[in-house]
Amino acid sequence: MEKTRYNILPVPTFGKLGVNHAERDTVISETEEYRIESGGDELIIQYNDSDNSSKRTELILDPNAKVRLVRVFDRPEPAVSELKAVIAEGAELELTELYIGGRDTVSGIDVRLDGRRASFKADIAYTLSDEEKLDINLVAEHNGKKSTSEIAVGGVLSDRAAKVFKGTIDFKQGASGAVGSEREEVLLLSENVVNKTVPVILCAEEDVEGNHGATIGRIDERHIFYMKSRGIPEEKIYELTARSRLMRVIKQIESSETQKQIFEALGWGDDDEQ
Amino acid sequence: MKDKTQVSDIDRSFYDFRYEENEGDFLDSGLSADIIREISEEKNDPEWMREFRLKSLDIYNRTPMVGWGASIEGLDIDNIVTYIRQKNRMNTDWNAVPEDIKQTFEKLGIPQAERESLAGVGAQYDSELVYHNVREEVAKSGVVYTDLESAMHDPKYADMIHAHFMKLVPPTDHKFAALHGAVWSGGSFVYVPKNVHLDIPLQSYFRLNAKGAGQFEHTLIILEENSSLHFIEGCSAPKYYEAGLHAGCVELYVGKDASLRYSTIENWSKNMYNLNTKRAIVQENGRIEWVSGSFGSHVSYLYPMSILNGRGASAEFTGITFAGEGQDLDTGAKIVHNAPDTSSYMNTKSISKSGGKSTFRSAVTVNENAVGSKSSVNCESLMLDGISRSDTVPAIVVKTDKCDVGHEARIGRISDEAIFYLTSRGISEEEARAMIVRGFADNVSKELPLEYAVEMNNLIGLEMHGSIG
Repeated sequence: MEKTRYNILPVPTFGKLGVNHAERDTVISETEEYRIESGGDELIIQYNDSDNSSKRTELILDPNAKVRLVRVFDRPEPAVSELKAVIAEGAELELTELYIGGRDTVSGIDVRLDGRRASFKADIAYTLSDEEKLDINLVAEHNGKKSTSEIAVGGVLSDRAAKVFKGTIDFKQGASGAVGSEREEVLLLSENVVNKTVPVILCAEEDVEGNHGATIGRIDERHIFYMKSRGIPEEKIYELTARSRLMRVIKQIESSETQKQIFEALGWGDDDEQ
Repeated sequence: MKDKTQVSDIDRSFYDFRYEENEGDFLDSGLSADIIREISEEKNDPEWMREFRLKSLDIYNRTPMVGWGASIEGLDIDNIVTYIRQKNRMNTDWNAVPEDIKQTFEKLGIPQAERESLAGVGAQYDSELVYHNVREEVAKSGVVYTDLESAMHDPKYADMIHAHFMKLVPPTDHKFAALHGAVWSGGSFVYVPKNVHLDIPLQSYFRLNAKGAGQFEHTLIILEENSSLHFIEGCSAPKYYEAGLHAGCVELYVGKDASLRYSTIENWSKNMYNLNTKRAIVQENGRIEWVSGSFGSHVSYLYPMSILNGRGASAEFTGITFAGEGQDLDTGAKIVHNAPDTSSYMNTKSISKSGGKSTFRSAVTVNENAVGSKSSVNCESLMLDGISRSDTVPAIVVKTDKCDVGHEARIGRISDEAIFYLTSRGISEEEARAMIVRGFADNVSKELPLEYAVEMNNLIGLEMHGSIG
């Protein structure tokens, strides 16, 4: 079967790093389309479990529309997901995503901030173990004046898990006053993990502010020392820290039913979620 | 109408003088096995080098162009003269250097710098070294600083060169590494023995005078255990309308507890394609420091690579890139952590103006065995107008949990808040902007040797004039 290239990095880089694209033989078979009209305010929750096939979601936000999109990926089988969003003047898209494992998940997020003061906020978390693989390619394209993007990504890798996160903020000419920021924090819990982080800023406009940052590694030794001195065993410290990275995103999800589903998928008991 | 604050392009007129060449000294342009054999013949290569060149040509022919980075469509290798015959033998006596070549380097201030502040100097003109000299006390300490061709024929160093030449950057690395392997000519060989510390720098200067030509010098530096060296290289060429090519190669072997600082000011003319490869391998507790200023050339691909191969080895990269009109400068660095407790620090600045494009590209790789390693990358870009472009493409690959890797990047223009702060303290707006732009470049210029910092300031030519708009 012929493979398809997904998650293409907008500006390719050194080929030997293996981050320029993800080739898979999976095909997207389903597209969900949403159009949120001017002044509309909607909450969309997608819980992608083993019953869902690979899917594309297309969102159009008319002027001043507001959307909160929550997506949970709880699929053991290989899957490809694409999200495309176009945000008009004054419209706001808030994206919350949680990736729970998955043998091989490829997720492309392509957001165009076309309108003046268009706004995009993304909060993404992931947890991978065993030999699970995740490849995320997020592109925020700023066309509108004073458009803003704020991207926060955090996750935990253990065992032989492998993850690629590519995040691009693309300031097009004319997007004056635009501001974009991106941050990723990766907690590594095993000596066999592979983490690849590619935070890209493309800039063709003078009057913009862009920044990105990444922190990758283990828990700060001072943090461990502090918690140990309060009687918490080291194993528990790692567990608590990993959970806190995920809870940052889970607690934003408005639906208690979805939260319950997530806790079940994570194998957390009722006491754990408190 | 108000005149917008101007930051001038680099003033290159200082470098644009040139002398006519005798085209009878040129080998045919383009690449063929016959041309490669002719270069070997001219240079009296040992047999292994003749074979190496032909093998590299073969690799070149079957290696595709890179699929990323700045466009090199304007470069036609069939129109590039890869070798220009030597007019005279290399000299250690400045007075014996041919007059036009001597004048070139006099204008660039090379002999003056040698007298005042250097332990040794090498000067390459087109394809060959024309002058090489090292101070007597430095030579007595056992330091070798000569041209690579002479060293290759010296029984004391022939085996050493055979063992190290293009082992760090093999011809299979990329297409222009293969090209270099086939046509390389000139460059320096430096050997610093165990426990020898050179307090004053060595400097090589590369000048490409000929039109439509390439320069392919090879620099090989070997530092033995517990030794240290500061090596400076400078590059320039006069402007022509035909494309020129620089595909040099630098290989640095830094021994246990040794320390090497490698400073470069690259100021090729804007018709040049600068496709250069630099790489260092660092052993236990050794240290490599790169200081790199990229100002010239039409297109640059330049990413000095540090392979930290011994426990406790460290690398530091400090770079500045100034892309003006007609320039597409793709620069950065690569670091590979390949041993425990290694550390690296990268700090770069980019300035884009008048339609110039600068790209910061980096790769930090922390391998499975690099437990306890630390890496920090910091890059900042400044856009000085709305017609230029500045891209930042860093990549981080981590294969162990026992490490700390950080990355920070920022892009923007001169902030209104900073201007407000400075003007509220009585500084004029024009002066405030000038101060901020100079300050942006200052972090890098202070890492350069004094005479090079002065040259860099001249190069940047930060001229602020007119009212603020």
